[in-house]
Amino acid sequence: MPLFEALGSGGEKTAVVIDLGAAYTKCGFAGETGPRFIIPSEIRKPGQQQAIKVVQYNINTEELYVNLKEFIHMLYFRHLLVNPRDRRVVIIESILCPSHFRETLTKVFFKQFEVPSVLFAPSHLMSIMTLGINSALVMDCGYTETLVLPVYECTPILPAWEALPLGGKAIHKEMDGLLVEQCTVDTDSSSGQSVPTVIGTIPEEIIEDIKVRTCFVSDLQRGFKIQEAKFNLDGTAERPAPPPDVDYPLDGEKILHIKGSIRDSVMEILFEQDNEEKSVASLILDALVKCPIDTRKVLSENLVVIGGTAMLPGFLHRLLAEIRLLVEKPKYRDILATKSFRLHSPPAKPNCTAWLGGAIFGALQDILGSRSVSRDYYNQTGRIPDWCCLSSPPPESVFDAGKTPPPLMKRAFSTEK
Amino acid sequence: MASLLQPNRVVYLVCGEKKIRSPLSQLYFCRYCSELRSLECVSHEVDSHYCPSCLENMPSAEAKLKKNRCANCFDCPCCMHTLSTRATNIPAPLPDDPTKTAMKKAYYLACGFCRWTSRDVGMADKSVEIIYQEGQPDRVLVFFHVTQEKYGLGTRLQRQRSGAPISSLAGLSLKEGEDQKEINIEPAQALDEVEPLPEDCYTRPISLPEVTTLRQRLLQPDFQPAGASQLHPKHKHLLMKRSLRCRKCEHNLSKPEFNPTSIKFKIQLVAVSYIPEVRIMSIPNLRYMKESQVLLTLTNPVETITHVTLVACEEGDSDDINSTAKVIVPTKELVLAGKDAAAEYDELAEPQDFQDDPDVVAFRKSNKIGFFIKVIPQKEEDEDVTVSFKIRHDFRNLAAPIRPSEESAEAVPEAIWLTHHVELSLGPLAN
Repeated sequence: MPLFEALGSGGEKTAVVIDLGAAYTKCGFAGETGPRFIIPSEIRKPGQQQAIKVVQYNINTEELYVNLKEFIHMLYFRHLLVNPRDRRVVIIESILCPSHFRETLTKVFFKQFEVPSVLFAPSHLMSIMTLGINSALVMDCGYTETLVLPVYECTPILPAWEALPLGGKAIHKEMDGLLVEQCTVDTDSSSGQSVPTVIGTIPEEIIEDIKVRTCFVSDLQRGFKIQEAKFNLDGTAERPAPPPDVDYPLDGEKILHIKGSIRDSVMEILFEQDNEEKSVASLILDALVKCPIDTRKVLSENLVVIGGTAMLPGFLHRLLAEIRLLVEKPKYRDILATKSFRLHSPPAKPNCTAWLGGAIFGALQDILGSRSVSRDYYNQTGRIPDWCCLSSPPPESVFDAGKTPPPLMKRAFSTEK
Repeated sequence: MASLLQPNRVVYLVCGEKKIRSPLSQLYFCRYCSELRSLECVSHEVDSHYCPSCLENMPSAEAKLKKNRCANCFDCPCCMHTLSTRATNIPAPLPDDPTKTAMKKAYYLACGFCRWTSRDVGMADKSVEIIYQEGQPDRVLVFFHVTQEKYGLGTRLQRQRSGAPISSLAGLSLKEGEDQKEINIEPAQALDEVEPLPEDCYTRPISLPEVTTLRQRLLQPDFQPAGASQLHPKHKHLLMKRSLRCRKCEHNLSKPEFNPTSIKFKIQLVAVSYIPEVRIMSIPNLRYMKESQVLLTLTNPVETITHVTLVACEEGDSDDINSTAKVIVPTKELVLAGKDAAAEYDELAEPQDFQDDPDVVAFRKSNKIGFFIKVIPQKEEDEDVTVSFKIRHDFRNLAAPIRPSEESAEAVPEAIWLTHHVELSLGPLAN
């Protein structure tokens, strides 16, 4: 059974595709169907028990450089096992990534690892490449935030972006509060102890594991009843019967009794509308309102949801139901004429969809070459163009009078023939 | 006083793009540029791949094909330990005589740490010892293949082989005589309805061992199964050996051997075999503004005689940022004998006669000398007393090509003088 070799014509090797997320990093090679590895975005220093998160926007550049360097070193030499100098790099990023983080990341790649070229691809745009469509309303439910960006005819409609800090991090915080407040721990010697007395703070890895294994998102009716019971404005609302409790072993000796009511109520924070009546579902409608009128019908019938938080059981069903309910509310009913909402199912798991789009794009070698920022260009200009600061022109010495100037970061994909 | 031998006590300064201070044991020396190099200012390259459990070297072409996974070894999907193949005897009918049964061996995989076995996921016992298992999500492959064709308009043409799983689709060359075809892919269809949660989700008690943890799921990015009964073992990921290369002159500084079981190097240009090493031998009680004598040792790594001069750092030296004490170093040149491996066995060797000033040189032993420096701590704070000075020594570059000269009969390379900045951390002030 013949297998195709991983060599392009002209001997160019496949590009490396990296999706550097706040919680997890997906890395692999272009032209493959899935990332090789999904690893947590953190590094461990020898002697320290607590891992350091790599994607932090508030630390100073020196420290960020060192962290990124070590992380990318581990990616290349422990997971991908290839020479950085030989292969182009495609980095999937969020459009809200701060410029100084991008600049530091580019500096690490070019100065330390000497890669031939780097391409920053927006995650929302890449995810529609996996579906073969040109327009979609893409929602990325990640760790730090949920970000909605409409893409029409392969162009992101930047002014219509909407975001809320409701993601994995918010869920973990809520869960931590509920566990400390309501749950008890049994140890070898005693039972029914409160959580802080036995183990202090619960490590985030354990909270994440509890979330993944035991929690789910209830459907619309049940969710409303749970929210009413929580806020209990009338004093009469009764909570629906909670799912069974779970005994979660913390280590060999301690068992954490997780109350069943936590299992279905912690996810409600994603759908509870805060004072501004914003929830994860309203983001989609708010983004639609900001889009031009002619685009709305196409966008509302092509919804794409990516990101790790979207993999929670019952999330998509609840999201669709919430959107359909919200669109009948007076706020949206008169503005949005379109009432039909359809959801795509991309050919990859939601946490890898953006990566897969990048891998598809990275396999197009000619286009990748012309759209990337090469090492020579970076050495001459010393900076990487960002969508918010494209306008500083390159110095005169960069290109000759007769040749065309090197392409700056425009759209990642063009429909021009 | 083993703490005096800790590597961080004596650091050498590396001048590269960034100034790095690092113990000599962690540095490399490029003898073509005649400069110290640290791990951060060299470029790392992947040299060879090998499996960590069967220690088999894998050529890079094969590693690329197998996606950097060993063909024979497996990892437990539950605890990531290496799986071992176990055999049981099962009665099986003989092929030629169905009525008789004979004991046949059946092999299965088992983990020695968490007691997971391949029977837990329903994998049948095999009669052949090597159990090969690999899965591919087929619908992704077909879609991927077609998508790449559409977006690769006019650049590449795929040859479609029916039934063959395509593991990588990076551009293939056009065969002669074939035209480029325009391929239409159908855009994906969005669905009106999404499957809701099953009703029993609200009432069914969970059995935690049957639900996979996030880490177990992410080990298999293509499938990410939620149930433990779908966790299939994966082939073991390979490790690699690294070679280091100087960025300026592109020469190799470190190249390991091909054989995974060997720890030696083909090329090993480490700094400890070229640069004399300073170590702290004993520190007296250090008092604020009082002069004390510290005993240091200097070791000569090469086989020729080396002359070493110590120079204190001047005022306003840009490298001298950490020192908290004044140091008075011996002004005379120190002479170090060459390293002679046979010296201890050779009883008839004449002891070499170096006139040593007893105020400066405390003792001399083959290629090592002990000497005194005077330290006057300048700061009264609680932190460690740090001194720094420059060490200047002669270096004979045996690797460089020797210019053929008409007069010289012996090929003696010329000595060049190298200067390094050294910082010592002498510990806190005594109270």
